Amino acid sequence: MQNRTRWLAWVFLAPAMILVGILMYYPMVGTALESLYSTSFINPNPQFVGLALYERIFSSGEFGTIVWNSCVWTVFVVFFQNVFGFVVALLLNRRLPTSGLMRSLVLLPWILPGVVAAILWRFMYDPQLGLINSFLLRLGLADQGYAWLAESSTAMAAAIAAAVWKGFPFSTVVYLAALQNVDKEQIEAAFVDGAGPVRRLIHVIIPAMKEVIVINLVITTILTFNYFDMIWVLTRGGPQNATHIFPTKIYELGFGQFRFGEAATYGVFSILVLAILITLYFFFQSSGRRRNGAAA
Amino acid sequence: MSERWTLGRVGLLVAQVALAVIILLPFFWMVSVSLKPGTEPFAIPARLWPEHPTLDNYVSAFRPEFRTYFVNSIVVSLSTVAITVTLALLAAYTFTRNQTRLILICMVLVMAAQMFPASAIIIPIYKLMKEANLLNTYASLILAYITVTLPVAIWMLRAFMARLPIELDEAAAVDGAGPFRTFFSIILPLCRPGIIATAVFVLIVTWQEFLFALSFTSTKEMRTLPVGMNDFIGQYGIRYGELMASSVLISVPVVAAFFLLQRQFVAGLTAGSVKG
Repeated sequence: MQNRTRWLAWVFLAPAMILVGILMYYPMVGTALESLYSTSFINPNPQFVGLALYERIFSSGEFGTIVWNSCVWTVFVVFFQNVFGFVVALLLNRRLPTSGLMRSLVLLPWILPGVVAAILWRFMYDPQLGLINSFLLRLGLADQGYAWLAESSTAMAAAIAAAVWKGFPFSTVVYLAALQNVDKEQIEAAFVDGAGPVRRLIHVIIPAMKEVIVINLVITTILTFNYFDMIWVLTRGGPQNATHIFPTKIYELGFGQFRFGEAATYGVFSILVLAILITLYFFFQSSGRRRNGAAA
Repeated sequence: MSERWTLGRVGLLVAQVALAVIILLPFFWMVSVSLKPGTEPFAIPARLWPEHPTLDNYVSAFRPEFRTYFVNSIVVSLSTVAITVTLALLAAYTFTRNQTRLILICMVLVMAAQMFPASAIIIPIYKLMKEANLLNTYASLILAYITVTLPVAIWMLRAFMARLPIELDEAAAVDGAGPFRTFFSIILPLCRPGIIATAVFVLIVTWQEFLFALSFTSTKEMRTLPVGMNDFIGQYGIRYGELMASSVLISVPVVAAFFLLQRQFVAGLTAGSVKG
């Protein structure tokens, strides 16, 4: 009987394991191998070049730009998405006549298909027809439409704002659920001790939610680092690489220019970055569980 | 208990209204532009309300190729939802019921896979699909989508199943039910809310997937909605009324699914992340 269930366990697991193995782990190795071969549109037959592509990419200024853009993009999107998400969660956690309705509405941007959200924001930012410039013109804050996505100085900030709008609901929902798990008696006790709302937040609520916050930070970092749709539809990495991040650069090199080797070299770097983040995630998760286990 | 309308509460209410504006304004504008006839979207500066609302844009947005994209998206998404949820149920059941060391290692490997960037591994996957002659077919997309959604689906269902006490299985075994019967007639019915939440999640993810669809499909006959929309920008970039009408049409199925099944969906989404 025991043997039979053990055997069955592997039958149940097999399809998931095989798919993930063939379509995720094998391609990771494949990307590393691919980065040792050079191809291009003119010369489509792969040619073994060793680490030459790494040298070429390191010595080009572009690599630094992509790393910098990816950092700026990830740090700002994650920061604003989580801060805004948390504040909104606090706001919707209050008992107000509109709270129930708002809790349903808040997820709307997150459900909206990514490409649709990006097209919508591209239109919002349009210098002539966009809503944002129209408001600025009406209010007299600008005398002509500004091309937010076409100027290197504002394109990244504009993309970040759109991504935060699309992504904060996810953080809000996770934080709302966590807020409801914070021990009510602890909050009450702090209240009786004369702690104001800010002190209750800093000394009771945030410490109680620490693990959820850390795990959510790591998850949103991973998702944001991998986020392709928004930037690709808004700017395609332009103007002049100003918004190119790892995923968009890899796609452009691979499927735009058929430089599979160079695309794979960028791929290897992003896999390394992600490997570090994933290790962090599992570390925080298991340390959180251990502490919970000790408390129980 | 009626709470007093203090200044603080009014302030919070105002903040909620401001939040509603931030969330809804882009949506409102999408719908508004989709109702503007002919050249109205090109008025400078833009107007928030349509002056002469009409459904013309919807009629012209629903052209034959859009219908093809719609059908493709439905076929690919529903197949993915059905297969992913089935496989995830089997795997999640195993992960919660048989915790040997080897199985736990497998679980970590499957969970970690979801976090790696699709863009970094897409070239080898593309080559695999090419060798298997699957490029530009439903199968290539469905296979890729199952793989990317499966780990999250397992994670959501695992959180649900972990709450069902193992005594249930043991009681069923004592009553003479084999592992298959226990799974199908005891565990599955109890997991229904979790299954619904997972299905909605997988639907939302696959319905909007862009990168694989962009890379694996090469003809209009096989494009899904997000890629088709992206093509529209080039072809009909200046026909904003139509573009917004198609945007509304694409969003309706997932928004409807979400509002119908909201309760289970939010519970399932947060079960894993909050309770671990």
